[in-house]
Amino acid sequence: MNVEKEIISIISEVSGFDEEEITPEKNFYKDLEVDSIKAIEITVAIEKKFKISVRDEDVPNITTVKEAVALVNKLISEKADVKA
Amino acid sequence: MLKHKEAYDAVIIGAGMSGLVCGCYLAKAGMKVLIAEQHSKPGGYCTSFKRKGFTFDAAAHSIGGYKYGYVGKVFKDLEIGKKIKFFKINPSDTIITPDYKLSFWADTDMTIKEFQRAFPEERERIDRFFSFLANPDIKIFSRIRKWTFKNLLDKYFADEKLKTILSVPLFGNGGLPPTRMAAFVGVKIYQEFLLDGGYYPEGGMQALSDALAERFMELGGELRLSSPVKKVKIKNNEVAGIILLDNDFLLSKYVVSNCDTRQTFFKLVGRHILDQEFIDTIKTMIPSLSGFILYLGMDTQLTQLPEPGVNLWYLFFYNLDAAYLAAKRGDFRNIGGYVIHVSPDKKTVFVFINAPFKNKKYWNANKKKLLDFFIHRIESEAIPNLSKHILFKDAATPLTLHRHTLNFKGAAFGWASTPSQLAMPDLRKPSFIRNLYLTGHWTTQGLGIPGVVYLGYDTAKMILRKQKANL
Repeated sequence: MNVEKEIISIISEVSGFDEEEITPEKNFYKDLEVDSIKAIEITVAIEKKFKISVRDEDVPNITTVKEAVALVNKLISEKADVKA
Repeated sequence: MLKHKEAYDAVIIGAGMSGLVCGCYLAKAGMKVLIAEQHSKPGGYCTSFKRKGFTFDAAAHSIGGYKYGYVGKVFKDLEIGKKIKFFKINPSDTIITPDYKLSFWADTDMTIKEFQRAFPEERERIDRFFSFLANPDIKIFSRIRKWTFKNLLDKYFADEKLKTILSVPLFGNGGLPPTRMAAFVGVKIYQEFLLDGGYYPEGGMQALSDALAERFMELGGELRLSSPVKKVKIKNNEVAGIILLDNDFLLSKYVVSNCDTRQTFFKLVGRHILDQEFIDTIKTMIPSLSGFILYLGMDTQLTQLPEPGVNLWYLFFYNLDAAYLAAKRGDFRNIGGYVIHVSPDKKTVFVFINAPFKNKKYWNANKKKLLDFFIHRIESEAIPNLSKHILFKDAATPLTLHRHTLNFKGAAFGWASTPSQLAMPDLRKPSFIRNLYLTGHWTTQGLGIPGVVYLGYDTAKMILRKQKANL
């Protein structure tokens, strides 16, 4: 699964911005008009898509696509480690 | 045989507040828009009706988010203020329990002081709590997405009575106790209904829906009342248009459903388009409670009426879990409370009691009995001599609410606002059907008029973004 592509697709669905407009550096809150409801929707959709659980303390660290990708990759590999 | 008729840029199914607001913005941007509404008047839960010379608000009975929230912004954008005046009720809400009477004033500092006088031990925490409510960091809500309102209250307060009192508006405005209500939704209720609430349109709630409908038509929109939609036509995973009851097929690039989730997907779209996992998800979701509503027309002789326009929340015991379970069972002898709203013109009394759906047989057998039971109770608990001054009385049951609005199980607040039912993007904009949008209180965590007005605006914004058009 291409994590970045999936995350961009989620953000596009929730924010209404075209996928092409959502570059890795775009800030959810400042550039993509993400408000409190949408911030929750993005977090919940990411958890569901990648079957991971985002820890409370990590949430403030997801403000761009890039950060979201890094966090999801980290959580996926942690999950794989636990399984191994 | 389908009869091909006109083509639209967007068709909106349902003229609830969210559909009307969305329609106005789309029409304002130059799109050709139709709103099809099954009822004979616009508004959904924001309507009024006339009986024996009295005008009753059917369900919604005050407006929040007017000064600082989206409601004010949207009404300004749409110039609704040119059509109707709004006035502010102060206090907007008063909570009455066996040992306290606490109000929410236009000046929040007054509210804080009142709570601090009642709970001196919690003085500083009350300050901190209200300052959080007034100005929270957006990002905090994703962090507390799994919290209930109880979790949030426990972080701030020690006094159990205070925590229960602070949860009464949630029980009344969302039908859940703090142990089940998502913290996010609870905070929204505070921000929109209590810290910025208590507005009322001159002439009653229908005047607001009528003003929006009128504005929509001025902007070039077409509104068809008494016009049920039979199907949303989908071709290759994309919206093609709608089919009306008389088989008229109307082409449309976008379809916005202001109906509930089950009706939209199971009836209008059709199960054959959906995958089984999605069907199962929707089938297991729990709707909010419905309501039993009293409508009383009063003579002019009753002098001891409570303050008109104020939402008066009565709580009889400090256990909202028990109150919720009693409401869910329909155990009306043990209900925890109700809300009384005397109309600003002092002519009518509206009482809302959380209630379960139940079947037709139950309500046919119990409606009248319950109406008299509650009049008697209210007379002893809230308004002395009430029964001697009633000129007209009637009640709405969950079946009435369903009949007029088609909300699933007559639910008063969309899906129950629990953390696990919070935020599923597919309920707003399904990823598997292009150009289909849903708006209104079933789509995400937007409650009441502020919630659905925001959603109508936001849905329009998403469509216009796709169209590369401006609001």
